[in-house]
Amino acid sequence: MSDPRSPAPSPPPAPPALAVWLLSRLLPDELREPFLGDLEESFHHELRRGRGPAAAGWWYWRETLRAPLTLSRAAGHPASSAPRGDGPMTSLLIDLHFAFRLLARRPAFTALVTLTLALGIGATTAIFSAVYPILFAPLPFPHPERLVMVWERDQKGTPDNFGFATYRDVVDANRSFDALAAMGHSEVTMTGRAEPERLEGQKVSSTFFRTLGVAPALGREFRATEDVPGAERVTILSHGLWRSRFGGDSSLVGRQIALDGIPYTVIGVMPASFENVLDPKAQLWTPLRYDLLLAWACRTCRHLRVVGRLKAGVSVTDAERELGVLSRRIVADHPKEYEGVGMLVPTLHEQVTGGVKPALLAVLGAVALVLLIACANVTNLLLARAAQREGEFSVRAALGAGHVRVIRQLLTESLVLAAIGGVLGIGVAWLGVQALVALSPPGLPRIGAIGVNGPVLVFAVLITTTVGLAFGVAPALHATRGDLYHGLMRTSRRLTGSRRVTRASLVVSEVALAMVLLVGSGLLLRSMTRLFAVSPGFDPSHLLTMEVVTGGPRFTSDTATHAYFQRVLEAAGAVPGVETAALTSQLPLTNDYDAYGVHSEARPRANTEQDPSAHRYAVSGRYLETMRIPVLRGRGLTDRDRGDGLAVLLINQAFARREWPGTDPIGQRVRLGDATQGPWRTIVGIVGDVKQVSLSADQPNAIYVPEEQWPWADFEMSLVVRTRGDPAALVPALRRAVWSVDRDQPIVRVSTMERLVTGSAAERRFTLVLFESFAAVALIMAAAGIYGVLAGTVVERRPEIGVRAALGATRANILMLVVRQGLGLTTIGIVLGLAGAAAMARIATSLLFGISPVDLFTYVGVTVLLVVVALAACWIPAWRAARLDPMATLRTD
Amino acid sequence: MEPRLGEFEQLVMLALVRLGDDAYGVAVQREIAGRTGRSTGFATVYTTLARLEGKGLVASRLGDPTPERGGRRKKYFVLLAAGRRAVRESLRTLRTMTRGLDASWGAP
Repeated sequence: MSDPRSPAPSPPPAPPALAVWLLSRLLPDELREPFLGDLEESFHHELRRGRGPAAAGWWYWRETLRAPLTLSRAAGHPASSAPRGDGPMTSLLIDLHFAFRLLARRPAFTALVTLTLALGIGATTAIFSAVYPILFAPLPFPHPERLVMVWERDQKGTPDNFGFATYRDVVDANRSFDALAAMGHSEVTMTGRAEPERLEGQKVSSTFFRTLGVAPALGREFRATEDVPGAERVTILSHGLWRSRFGGDSSLVGRQIALDGIPYTVIGVMPASFENVLDPKAQLWTPLRYDLLLAWACRTCRHLRVVGRLKAGVSVTDAERELGVLSRRIVADHPKEYEGVGMLVPTLHEQVTGGVKPALLAVLGAVALVLLIACANVTNLLLARAAQREGEFSVRAALGAGHVRVIRQLLTESLVLAAIGGVLGIGVAWLGVQALVALSPPGLPRIGAIGVNGPVLVFAVLITTTVGLAFGVAPALHATRGDLYHGLMRTSRRLTGSRRVTRASLVVSEVALAMVLLVGSGLLLRSMTRLFAVSPGFDPSHLLTMEVVTGGPRFTSDTATHAYFQRVLEAAGAVPGVETAALTSQLPLTNDYDAYGVHSEARPRANTEQDPSAHRYAVSGRYLETMRIPVLRGRGLTDRDRGDGLAVLLINQAFARREWPGTDPIGQRVRLGDATQGPWRTIVGIVGDVKQVSLSADQPNAIYVPEEQWPWADFEMSLVVRTRGDPAALVPALRRAVWSVDRDQPIVRVSTMERLVTGSAAERRFTLVLFESFAAVALIMAAAGIYGVLAGTVVERRPEIGVRAALGATRANILMLVVRQGLGLTTIGIVLGLAGAAAMARIATSLLFGISPVDLFTYVGVTVLLVVVALAACWIPAWRAARLDPMATLRTD
Repeated sequence: MEPRLGEFEQLVMLALVRLGDDAYGVAVQREIAGRTGRSTGFATVYTTLARLEGKGLVASRLGDPTPERGGRRKKYFVLLAAGRRAVRESLRTLRTMTRGLDASWGAP
């Protein structure tokens, strides 16, 4: 429909549709049309005056929000025939409007409440966002509930890796699985572009991606024909590697890249969304290329992990039962190649998250306590304010506002406060998530999935609403309880009895909750101190370590590798400031893990698979001296223990005690790895125990063999140097020394030994830092709660204090009066908190180290701390009470 | 005796006097804003007009729809005789109170 007399303009901006809709709902019938018409006319007028559409829209909204309030106020006017705005929407808008105005009038109160809430909601949301993907969200694969890990079972019933032959038996015979895949970790050096880069990857069976249910974004997945020895070498790249190293070039598929100097054809690139929970650091995949004839495909060559996808309808128990039967048959056929019977089938989700579950649940619990304390604090503030507003409520009631109406107004105020707190809280959560990710220990699974996203926002909204209702209820009920008429008669500052009880119990619970958190962080702190008091078995000061890797066609022979490491050792030893230098095949307190079966000549077991296993350290001559690991009996290793000399080894003390109790192991002979072949090696010394996996783990068995006497050359060795000065200062010089031997060999993992020791407790430290910050916040909030209640009572008891003072009470008496009240509440809180803490600590024992969950020192220390803080919080109100002028107080009442 | 007018009521009534036949919400609001610099919400204007109508001082009628208003009709207000008297009365009261005041008070 166009007007023929004027050119058709582009449609002008219209008033905000939502506001128009709202108004047409809110306005009474007789006013709707002219009012909306006026608004629209003025809206266009505003636009013509040169206001932007946004400014005009804003103006429209302002008019919309003002309208119901003004109109309904007029509705109360007796002489008015004006509209009566009493629909539910109108009164909600009025409540909102009123709430905003009240809050704006008391900026300090509003700021205090919203910031407290923002802190509580923000911290809870941040922790939830970290915990959600790990503990609650399904893994990012199709039908993730059907994904499981499969493990062999050792003597003790703990999971063990698969040998390839066993894996093939399971693949051929099972009826429970749609697909199974074996995988091993690999590290390769990519050359041929820029400088050599060390990459982590996975060697996997061709079924790997099909098992997980993901497909490459570009190219294709592996074929079975590529997963056999001698097949053409192919690789699939991660999205990240493809982007960072190849600039996201899609023509890369089909081309060749050099890994360890050997050409591989890139056949695919995984999508960016592929989250490899099985090996988060892997950047590329290559086929396993095993068959049963390979030496390392044997049953006892247990170095493969197995993941499987259950058939639809097959439960984990079904699968475990079937594999149990299968395992019994396999063990019967090969009795000497298995430790135990049966297989373990945990779900992939359990596998990925099991390790961090207790710590995360503890942290989630802790932050929930912080939120509870924040709510208690806010409720307290609102109650105090409700006391001041008693007069207002009475007036409203006198003017005809029903109880329900007043309660609704108060709840609206609480919800508005909670909403502001929630919005700020999401900001806090966002910051918190950044901090969490930055602080997170290296072992935290699914770290890429942590963030403020949909489920987290839903959580934040839910928690904000719940919190708003929770802390709004008490003041609302109090405000309307009993007789509003008497509220008018009373002076507004007096607290009613029931409100006083509520406030007191809120403070008591704040103190109790804070106590639980303080005890928790106290116990964790003590555990940490205990942990670092544990000697790692060597002297970590002044030690610098770096892992040196050989790779490429130059190192095809052991002689070349040995020669290379020998020259690296010499070059490192010649760096000024280096006292001694040594090489070791595995370094304590890193993720290095390399264990071999130890078979005794004198006491052979029927099933050699049940012989003990021990960490193997292939070391150069001065390793013990450099690390300062003591030789307890016999001798250490020297440069004379060469490849052609007597085959020797050292064992650690724990191993000696466990395997040779009451006898002297020195002079005994053992075989390593294979019980049936290889040289017999003579034990020539016993050395001190060294922590390998972590400071908190038990002493493992360990053997030390001269590097040159091992049947093959390790291609990765850790260089350890003891320095005279600051070890970190020598990093550049040592790098130069290593690269002076061969510029093309990457150096990875450069660190001082002290950093490695500290880092080995990163997960513990993470939990501790979180608990400490929560406990600090809880302590401050509890102190604020005590202060608030006492300040309130001092005002309220002013006349009584005046009388006491007039009757001869000294300032000290009055001071004590107030302090006693504060400490009374604190004491009840502490007693409840202690009981709660003891109960909690028992549940969380797995997080403690070296102390009892009812560690006396912690409980006493925390109690003293809380009492001191409570005293400080009592002091200001008490002092104020003591300085009251008795005459003045008596006169005012 | 006519009912007494509040301050804003006076302003609205005077706007109606000035606007004559063309007094509807937007015009009244703009008239007051243009002369006094006071910007008032429509809700306030309508509340006041409704109150004045209730007191029997003004009457209203609906006009024709215009496209500028989204096809909605205007509500025109006119002074009734009682309204005219009430305006005169309150102006006279004001003049009585200001007569003889020093020029520094800005008296007319």
